[in-house]
Amino acid sequence: MKISLNWLKKYVKIPETVSDDELIRLIGARLVEVEGVIDETHKYDNIYVVRVESCEKIPETHLTLCKIDAGGELVQVVCGAPNVREGMLAVWIAPGAVVPASAKEDAPFVIGKRKMRGFESCGMLAGADELDFGDDHSGIVEIDPNMAKPGDKLAVIFELEDLILEIENKSLTHRPDCFGIIGFAREVAGILGERFIEPAFLTHEDVFPEGFLIGAGKHDLKSKESDLKVKIADNSLCGRYTIASIKINEEHLKGEKYLSNTQILLAKSGMKSVSKIVDVTNILMLLTGQPLHAFDYDKFLKVGKSESPNIIVRLAKPGEKLLLLDEKEISCTENDILITSNDIPVALAGAMGGKETEIDENTRNVLLESATFSLFNLRKTQMTHGLFTEAITRFTKGVSTGETFNVLAEAIKEMGAKPLALYDAFPGWHEGIMVNVSVEEINTLLGTNYDEKLIKNTLQNVGFEVEKNGSYLKVFVPIWRTDIHIKEDVIEEVGRLLGYDNINPVLPLHVTAFANREWELKKRIRNLLSKYGANELLTYSFVSERLLKKAGLDPKNSYKIVNSISPDLQLVRQSLIPSLLDKAFLNEKLPVNQFAIFEMNKVYRKEWGLDKEKVPVEKTQLAMVLADRKYNDKTAFYQAKKYAAKVFDELGINVQYVPLKQKIVEGLPFEPKRSAEIVMDGECIGVVGEFKNSVKAEFKLADYLAGFEINLDCILDNMNNHYSIDLRKREYRDLTLNSKKSYDEVVRDIENVLKEHEIEASITPVSIYQADNSDEKHISVRLGFVDFNEKIMNVLENLY
Amino acid sequence: MTMIEIEKLRQRLKEIDLEARKIRDLPKADRAEYGKKINLQKQEVLNEIKQLEKAELDNEVLPLDVTAWSGVNEAMPEFFKTEIGSMHPLMAELDRVIGIYQMMGFDVIESRQLDDEFHMFDALNFAKEHPARDGYDTFRTEENLIPPAHTSTMQHRVLKKYKSTLEDTGRLAVVVPGRVFRNEDVDATHEHTFYQCEGVYVSRDCNMAQMLGILREFFEKYYEQKLNIRTQPGYFPFTEPSLEFMIEKPKGLGGKKGEYLEMLGCGMIHPKVLEMAGIDPGVYHGFAWGGGIDRLVMLRFGLDDVRYFESGNLNFLRAFK
Repeated sequence: MKISLNWLKKYVKIPETVSDDELIRLIGARLVEVEGVIDETHKYDNIYVVRVESCEKIPETHLTLCKIDAGGELVQVVCGAPNVREGMLAVWIAPGAVVPASAKEDAPFVIGKRKMRGFESCGMLAGADELDFGDDHSGIVEIDPNMAKPGDKLAVIFELEDLILEIENKSLTHRPDCFGIIGFAREVAGILGERFIEPAFLTHEDVFPEGFLIGAGKHDLKSKESDLKVKIADNSLCGRYTIASIKINEEHLKGEKYLSNTQILLAKSGMKSVSKIVDVTNILMLLTGQPLHAFDYDKFLKVGKSESPNIIVRLAKPGEKLLLLDEKEISCTENDILITSNDIPVALAGAMGGKETEIDENTRNVLLESATFSLFNLRKTQMTHGLFTEAITRFTKGVSTGETFNVLAEAIKEMGAKPLALYDAFPGWHEGIMVNVSVEEINTLLGTNYDEKLIKNTLQNVGFEVEKNGSYLKVFVPIWRTDIHIKEDVIEEVGRLLGYDNINPVLPLHVTAFANREWELKKRIRNLLSKYGANELLTYSFVSERLLKKAGLDPKNSYKIVNSISPDLQLVRQSLIPSLLDKAFLNEKLPVNQFAIFEMNKVYRKEWGLDKEKVPVEKTQLAMVLADRKYNDKTAFYQAKKYAAKVFDELGINVQYVPLKQKIVEGLPFEPKRSAEIVMDGECIGVVGEFKNSVKAEFKLADYLAGFEINLDCILDNMNNHYSIDLRKREYRDLTLNSKKSYDEVVRDIENVLKEHEIEASITPVSIYQADNSDEKHISVRLGFVDFNEKIMNVLENLY
Repeated sequence: MTMIEIEKLRQRLKEIDLEARKIRDLPKADRAEYGKKINLQKQEVLNEIKQLEKAELDNEVLPLDVTAWSGVNEAMPEFFKTEIGSMHPLMAELDRVIGIYQMMGFDVIESRQLDDEFHMFDALNFAKEHPARDGYDTFRTEENLIPPAHTSTMQHRVLKKYKSTLEDTGRLAVVVPGRVFRNEDVDATHEHTFYQCEGVYVSRDCNMAQMLGILREFFEKYYEQKLNIRTQPGYFPFTEPSLEFMIEKPKGLGGKKGEYLEMLGCGMIHPKVLEMAGIDPGVYHGFAWGGGIDRLVMLRFGLDDVRYFESGNLNFLRAFK
């Protein structure tokens, strides 16, 4: 949303002591973030109102040679517009001035003196598009002689030295009243500590002749003479529907050829001028936040084949068709709200009118609608049909029902039209909201010390009525504040308008916290592995189906994102390994030749089901993939195992590495013949191993490649900080045994012998040797004896 | 054995190719259908060959003694050199963030990465179908689960879990770090995946002044210097009042005077949110905040591209020892 500061200032007086910069800062600090400020203070420098004194066609061209009066000597300009004529007031961009429409570009276009077809042209006569007042390129703009004289600065006549504030709509989702200049101005008054003066037309009206209207102000107001029928099929769809039939005053349409403030305000607000009638509805929407829609009365009757307007507001039937103003035909869903003429759709409520009842230059009778609709239905309509009009942007914030009638009346006045009939259906009428809050409650929640008078004034300045009631304040909420329901909402108003920055920060007294064990575990692992040359990385939680398949995982086991950014990010990952393999490829290509990358993160699988909160079971994993291009003749498995063992060692956890069972490897890229299950207390908590050849081929990875994936949740309860430090003197002996058995089996045999002889010794691996022609291995270990005797070595050496 | 089967399949492929040629003898109307059928057969055989070749590739592998600690005739394996090791900057900094909050008395609960509509919106006082839900650009799964778009998805759980602590000690103080997701176009300052840290504080007499005090304290400790702070009104359905918290960009980090950066959203917890978690809003008040970690870290280290963080590029990561 764009807010012109000049326009805003028409509704709220800014004290001279408050500069524009300060005003913008205050708006940012106390109303809404100002995303940007467009500075237009010099945009219209050196641009003047001029009179065209003479016109002479240049033969064989579409050009006219003009002499213009710019308030001094006559100047010669060549003009290409068809509507240039003697005596008209036009707008002249003098040499040296920047063409306003190009002001935002990197290289703004500066007008100079130049020759066209041999004639000197000094500056140019401007069209609306060049002046950045819309995209009309059909001719030059004409100025109303009642407004200006030759030599006047355009910027002065139309108050163009302006700052435009850019506001992110999302930041005001809860404030439909601020989607209009008046609502915004009301807030600015409140911020400055001033009482806001409501514009006259919002508080009373003098549009209708005496005796024209009957009925109370709150329910079903209508004109005495009325042939309008309004039926709202379901009251939840439409809180209020006010409609009038009016006759347009021909005289009023005549001024349409002149450049108008309306056209300029629309342009500043990012909208386009369409026609006198439509412009009035749009300007009032920008001013009040209440969208209006104008139907051609005669077309409306023709579509509905009725004698008088029979308006039915109802839900669409699925598939019902409607051709919109932008000439696109939509197929409605049963959520869309339609305005119908005698049950034939003529508008998509709140979003856009229909083509068949569009206002055109021949329109003389108008049906003018001012209504509110269910924001929930309109939100879906907006999404379904991709319609983001200014009107629906406002309706989806929940426009209040309070102002449909007043704004409609003002529109009739602005159009210079005569009201014929009016009907105001108001099914959403309700009593005003009153909130009780005490001064103490306000100060307690804010941490402030504001007195009652200040609080009362602050609220009254923006339209609340406040009455004292014992120690409480009775706060009556104005009808346009659809966001205020409870006392906390009122407290927010006070805190915000008086400035949160005036609250003095204090620190509450604290006790220290307990550490989170899982977080601490990850911290320990991060510190440990990075110390041993490994690199922690983070990869996305979403992966592609292709990646899972490459790693041999079943995509069906993944939760699938239905609105993913791309197919690469469609599935929630089941394991960290595929992502790490992917990054291994990336890094090998960089090239980085040697790395152990690891990640600690969460994974999900459909087969794990839901937890007791009915959300998917979540597992926190640690995974590592290591690779080394230089080591192609070595076995990567043992390096990965060394890293895994280091982690368990650090955490004081006892695990065994046992040959992998086929069942576990299903759905994992590990090669069963070259991988081990990591077992803790008889439970498999992870896998360490090399990857299948087919996986390596799919990922195009080097041969020396291994890794592990461990579930961290299940080791939390087994961690300890115990160090078994043994400073006793030991005597070391190397022992080599020849056997076909596995390393573990050999160690177990040694342990049994030591146990039999009641001898205590540590056992650490040294090497494994195997001759080419032998199926026996020489397994060497180092024994560290506390009480060494030669005899035991003899026994051990002859074990097999 | 496998090789023979593959050979047989290759033979079959040749036969199918021969069959395919017969298409010319067919009337035009039937050709498309026939072509489709032949192609399907061909694809099936090709797939079978691929599967067999894969199996064959995996079959060539020799088994290892996985109980041993080194390969046969190989030296004992070694760790890579300490110099090339690194911690992920986001994680290492998140450890610092958590450390500061812990000193201030905040417990830590990590956020989930897949959650439901209830925790993401309903429990946070978002009205059903309310447009405020659109502001979060959430991803959804087929089951209508949501990879959370903010760590506030944990607020309801935190309030319930610590209710007894609140009743016993008179206060509840928890921070929630975690990974969040938004369906956004990615550029140097926007990522669809990023980290946030949420704070939740409840006591009988807590107020906005305390919230601002805690936040200023945190940022001053994190950036290791005194800071100027500022706020602006914000809107979140789960806090009332709601604000955005800003700090003046420190000079040492390239800031100019008056240059303020939005660091997080915060506010007093909406009474309905407390009530839904079983905490009496007539007795207790609370405040909460949530802000991005990526931006916090980028400012500290002078990084200019958020995409580096999940790039997995070791040339970036190894810069952080």
